[in-house]
Amino acid sequence: MSVIEITGLRKEYRRMRGGTTVAVDGLDLSVPVGGVFGFLGPNGAGKTTTIRCLLGLVRPSSGQLSMLGADVQRSLPSVISRVGSIVEAPAMFPRFSGRRNLEILARIHGEADIAIEAVLERVGLRDRAKDLVKTYSLGMRQRLAIAATLLRDPALLLLDEPANGLDPAGIVEVRELLRSLGAEGRTVFVSSHILSEVQQTADHVAIVAKGKLIKAGPVDEVLATTTGNGILVKVADLEAGRRALANANIPLTMVNDAIRADVPPADSERVSRTLAQAGLYVTELRPDTVDLETVFLELTKDQGVGD
Amino acid sequence: MRLLRSELLRARSRRLVPMLIIGGLLGIVVGMGLTAIYGGEASDAEIATAQTQYDKDFAQCMKGRFLEHGGQLDPRYASLEEFCRDANAPSLDGAQLRDLDLIVQGISTFVVLLGTLLGASLGGADWTNNTMTTLLTWEPRRARVFFTRALVVVAFVGVITLFLQVVFSAAYWLVAVTRGTTLFLPTHFWTDVAATVGRVSAMGVALGLVAYVIAMVGRSTVASLGVLFGYLVLVEGVIAGFRPTIQGNLLVRAASVIVSQQPILDPTRELVYYGSGVSGAVANPPILMDVHRAWIVVAVYLIVLGGLSLFQFRRRDVS
Repeated sequence: MSVIEITGLRKEYRRMRGGTTVAVDGLDLSVPVGGVFGFLGPNGAGKTTTIRCLLGLVRPSSGQLSMLGADVQRSLPSVISRVGSIVEAPAMFPRFSGRRNLEILARIHGEADIAIEAVLERVGLRDRAKDLVKTYSLGMRQRLAIAATLLRDPALLLLDEPANGLDPAGIVEVRELLRSLGAEGRTVFVSSHILSEVQQTADHVAIVAKGKLIKAGPVDEVLATTTGNGILVKVADLEAGRRALANANIPLTMVNDAIRADVPPADSERVSRTLAQAGLYVTELRPDTVDLETVFLELTKDQGVGD
Repeated sequence: MRLLRSELLRARSRRLVPMLIIGGLLGIVVGMGLTAIYGGEASDAEIATAQTQYDKDFAQCMKGRFLEHGGQLDPRYASLEEFCRDANAPSLDGAQLRDLDLIVQGISTFVVLLGTLLGASLGGADWTNNTMTTLLTWEPRRARVFFTRALVVVAFVGVITLFLQVVFSAAYWLVAVTRGTTLFLPTHFWTDVAATVGRVSAMGVALGLVAYVIAMVGRSTVASLGVLFGYLVLVEGVIAGFRPTIQGNLLVRAASVIVSQQPILDPTRELVYYGSGVSGAVANPPILMDVHRAWIVVAVYLIVLGGLSLFQFRRRDVS
């Protein structure tokens, strides 16, 4: 069962001087219920436009979108109370206090003050709730925005780059929060271009580039689509090590101050034994696993990403 | 209803609201202070002189000398005596309470400007702060958001302008009692003042709504105020100067007619007088805009601009 279903989504923007820019180009996407779903892509890939289409902020040029079983273009109001969202930078009134910002939003759905206190506590802003938002750091504003999304006890969260601008501690906090929300049975749809973050948080990912879906599925499945893993080995004499491994028909590449044996991590013993038999003792040996960034770059290299 | 409560809280929390109220109150205090300083209680002799002159003018009036429009009594008056008590003013120095109605009309420009500023801000602030995106992710029914906001503009501009005018009137009454005179009040004095205050507030609300709907199109407070200022200078100033007959269709002119209850005459047509001196009157005056038409003009502006604003708010992407 899908919590978000997108079919053939296309969004064109008219340019001021004529012509059109295609932000999303026939995107098909299915997001399963529960857990954290990473929506990955470089800047300009169409991530934010897709989220805006889902929230009814932007009218799609064509395509179908459904969220929590409701057609977005026809029945969004019927499900919006179960959706929490942050689109790009968290937008709050800077001259209101954090609590007042939440009170204004909470009244729209008749949420009680107790809910405000609970979400402030959850994002760690209770002590600063009376302060004006303009005095908040970017990380605090981000946490306030997350608190606002939690006010409605949502079944689905759409978070656009929630770790943007956060310091390392803030990133860890947000990561933990997203994990816990996903573990509660909610679906957390999080767009990001910080791939290492998503890899640590998400259960499923979708990679988009130039408005098109490149790859989607469980994280492990997506990682397995690339050329494979290897083993990084360090020895005192790198050249002797390279010769020994080559003589044993172990494929390899030289990387900086190490040798990368292009074999599965399960072959570590064979690599180690080969080197030992040549009188070379390893000072370091570890799996050189493929990360999401590598996969992403490999999958999008034909899409001109980074142009 | 929940959205309205939320919007009222948002509007109440705006810093602009207390700033405008405090600014208005300070203006009243300074204005009344100066009036009190430069005014003075009339002596018995001055009052007696004014009474004598007033009686003389009143007698002239009772002979029908001041009647206009073919010698017909204004239908608002039940008798010639009632009309003459209103039409004649005794001449005294210092604050005279009977001038309050005219003074309220005189300050209407500031009151309407206050309404305009508030309306533009209530419409434009969300776009400037980018909080419209946040709001629409909570309430995606844009027509509902649009009309609720309009209701908030009506409530806030109405209440604030009424409050400030009531405070102003009370302060002027106090100054008149202590440093002027409360004599010679016309028959329907307080009713007329209340009606003028109501009309001024209504025009404050109307202009506030116009500023609001323009802010929703321009997605900015500054854009709204800029467009209105441009309209005032270009259309109501320059174009109306070259083509005076279009005055009958202009918004600010209509608001002014409603506040003053004085029609705009067609300056391109010659006035035909009969009689002479103070009793001279215009036969069948060529009216470009009377009060009835002025209300229609204001309503048409509101409906057309509001409709266009709502249409584009529902259609345009929010990014």
